[in-house]
Amino acid sequence: MNLPSDVRYYDLRHVAGHATLIDIDNGVVESAGTSFFNKAVVRVLGPHGWGILEADKVDPEDQRQIRGLIASAARLAAITRQDVVLSDAPHEALPVPQMLERPGDISLEEKTGLLSRVEKAAALPGITNRRANYVEREERISFCDSSGTEMSYGMCWSGFNVLAVASRNGNVQMGYERQHTIRGMDLRHKEEFGKKAAEIAIKLLDAGHAKGGRMRAVLDPELAGVFAHEAVGHASEGDLIQEGNSVLSGKIGERIGDEQLTIVDDPSLPEFGFEPFDAEGVSVRRTEIVRNGVINAYLHNRETLAAIGHGLPGHARAMPGEVPLVRMSNTFIENGDATLDEIVEECGNGILLKGSRGGQVDPGRGVFQFNAEYGYLIEDGECTWMVRDVSLSGDILSTLHDIILCGNDRKMHPGYCGKGGQSVPVSDGAPHILLKNAVVGGSGVD
Amino acid sequence: MAWIDQLIREGEKRVGEIEVVFAEGTSVSADLKRRNISIASRSDDCGLAIRVISKGKIGSSTTNDPRHWEQCLNAAVSSARLATAQPWDGLPKPSEGLAATDTSCNDPAISLEPDAARALLASLLDGSSEHPADVTSGSATLSMSTMTLANSQGLQAESRHTGVSVSLEAIAGQSTGSEFAQSCFMDIDPYAVGERAAFFAARSTGGKDIATGSYDVILSPIAYAELLGAAFVPALSGRNVHARRSRLADRLGEQVMDSRFSLYDDPHREKGLGSTLRDGEGVPARRIDFVENGILKSFAYDLRTAYRYGKTTTGSAVRGGASSGTAIGHHNLVLDGPRDDITQEPAIYVHSVIGAHTANPMNGDFSVEMANAFRMGGGTFSEPVRSAMLAANVFDMHTGIVGISQEVRQIGPLVLPSIRLCGLRVIGK
Repeated sequence: MNLPSDVRYYDLRHVAGHATLIDIDNGVVESAGTSFFNKAVVRVLGPHGWGILEADKVDPEDQRQIRGLIASAARLAAITRQDVVLSDAPHEALPVPQMLERPGDISLEEKTGLLSRVEKAAALPGITNRRANYVEREERISFCDSSGTEMSYGMCWSGFNVLAVASRNGNVQMGYERQHTIRGMDLRHKEEFGKKAAEIAIKLLDAGHAKGGRMRAVLDPELAGVFAHEAVGHASEGDLIQEGNSVLSGKIGERIGDEQLTIVDDPSLPEFGFEPFDAEGVSVRRTEIVRNGVINAYLHNRETLAAIGHGLPGHARAMPGEVPLVRMSNTFIENGDATLDEIVEECGNGILLKGSRGGQVDPGRGVFQFNAEYGYLIEDGECTWMVRDVSLSGDILSTLHDIILCGNDRKMHPGYCGKGGQSVPVSDGAPHILLKNAVVGGSGVD
Repeated sequence: MAWIDQLIREGEKRVGEIEVVFAEGTSVSADLKRRNISIASRSDDCGLAIRVISKGKIGSSTTNDPRHWEQCLNAAVSSARLATAQPWDGLPKPSEGLAATDTSCNDPAISLEPDAARALLASLLDGSSEHPADVTSGSATLSMSTMTLANSQGLQAESRHTGVSVSLEAIAGQSTGSEFAQSCFMDIDPYAVGERAAFFAARSTGGKDIATGSYDVILSPIAYAELLGAAFVPALSGRNVHARRSRLADRLGEQVMDSRFSLYDDPHREKGLGSTLRDGEGVPARRIDFVENGILKSFAYDLRTAYRYGKTTTGSAVRGGASSGTAIGHHNLVLDGPRDDITQEPAIYVHSVIGAHTANPMNGDFSVEMANAFRMGGGTFSEPVRSAMLAANVFDMHTGIVGISQEVRQIGPLVLPSIRLCGLRVIGK
């Protein structure tokens, strides 16, 4: 394709597909239907920075339309002044993990019936509301750029959530379970998720408030995964490092935690954050952000790698029709060698925290917060009273030193991560970990 | 648009009622990386949402490619077959006396030129230079959109929206500050936004630790909006109330706030970001007094929830965007009451919080990290607080509001003052 003279590079990412949503609320099928999308983003590097067009109704085969989009994007790029350089990068695609049963082959009626079973399973005595949602997104993604790279793949992300609400005398509590996968239909015989959500909601009616303050805390694999995501993952994103908005800026080679601590982001792992190649058509590989307690690498796209170094490209991700951003994929703390019993015993007196309601970080300030669904007080090495609504906060640069034991039972948990108004599928994981000096936020007092 | 009429006629052959929403919009943005513009972008998008009702069964579908509206209509009809039937008394008819075209949020002075975005960024940067802080990122966006709502009852209405928004993030050492402004009109002050972002970064350096304990706290409109939106607002939704997911469900007629204060939705507020003649279903929007002098008076309903529970819609259906269906929400939610200078007595001022979305939406409990917090008194900030958590309950907090500020700020569809609270739990480090 003949390019305008001031265009140094262009790429086109086109995504078309459908999303199916089912919502069952207290036995009522509120909605069960399918929607369609067809979106593209064209990026052009002008003399300095990016001109970007986000457009609907793009036909990637229509060369005339594409040329018009590139010319428009080039005109936008004219107002930029930041000199953007792209690193070289390999362009190889991994095979997409096979699906055992393609969700698109199963009728909406059958999916609605299966979800209804999960929702009904939450109808235990004491439950005042139950709600279940099924989400399925099937996409065909194609990528091409001015260097002749052309790649494409199809993937389907699907899963369900179930919420159970228990209330007694104005005390309203909830239990929430979810399961998401890229491995195909996973909605059969999942009634135990509904039941578990209901049991947790009922138990929480009798749980107390944690007393806020510093204490030892055991984090379960789900919460410890969110901890890795919030405390380390975001702050290692190359765009934040480049902007000077991360406390990990300039810290390569510095010790941040114990010798046993290794924290990884790996988009090649066949978990919920998997991609066969990234949103810039770049091969995906494992990045060890922290290796044996030392900051080893940042997460990069081609631009941030060229600007600041230390790491691999392949971490650019985007929602359909949106600008690729440096993002996490499958983020986890590697296994140590402690058993859960050893961790709880070593904790002595403290708190065991389970499940996650998400978290947030200010990477420039180096402060993060995340929230457990519930927990148990640990007294003399034994789990005792249940507590609810417990948050933790910490400083990135000091908290990792507080991880004093890592378990040997790593599990990954799927979810979605938000950044710049875009939400992408990710997974987080870890073994059980023991933190000394955790700052626990709770409204309980003596 | 002739194809919308054709779509409605086709729909009427197959289902009892049909509603069509078509939106088209363009936005132009420029983004800063430190002090240079690194990205200039334009987004052209459109969305078609179809809703059909057949014997009380509601189905829907969306597409961003209206050339394929037949596929979307088929999907909506299939969707209705699976839905549980509910009482249904019809989509709204055209309202007499209401203009067909809504320009409540339309400013012809807004132009979608990249140079206009560049000028906004230049002003942000000028403002930031007033304090010793480095800019890390910033953004300016100008937008224009048109939404057409038509249904088989003969309603056809159009609304035109424009928008301008800016944001800036700054850092001084390891202290961060950020600010933003958004409006439907070209009346924002980007210089002030840049100045405030840099101020909060610079002024928060050298923070001191604070002992765990009970403190008077002033929440800025931003911090208050984050917590209000996380738990109190969802509890006002009629759907959540009847589904027993609201802590306010059984409290109509009871006191839920200090008796001096009221909370209402004002869809006709001049220059409000959510101002509108009609809600997302075409129902005339009207003022709703949720809390009047501290007493809980009303919940919010859309057509679906109102018909199901024998209530009247409050015109509270809102649409998230071109390709989304409706949800129960609000237009301009205002906290009002006698205003005062609430900054004279000693307190901890909290500009924003980290982690508000982790609040428990059912019972309102939260424990969040404070951001840009200061000890204040005599109307001025004294020392910054280095790092601490704030733990309380969103519902209980409202019964303990002791004062609200004279200044109010529009944050999306919320119009809020700063609020002063007594005896909140602060966890120091």
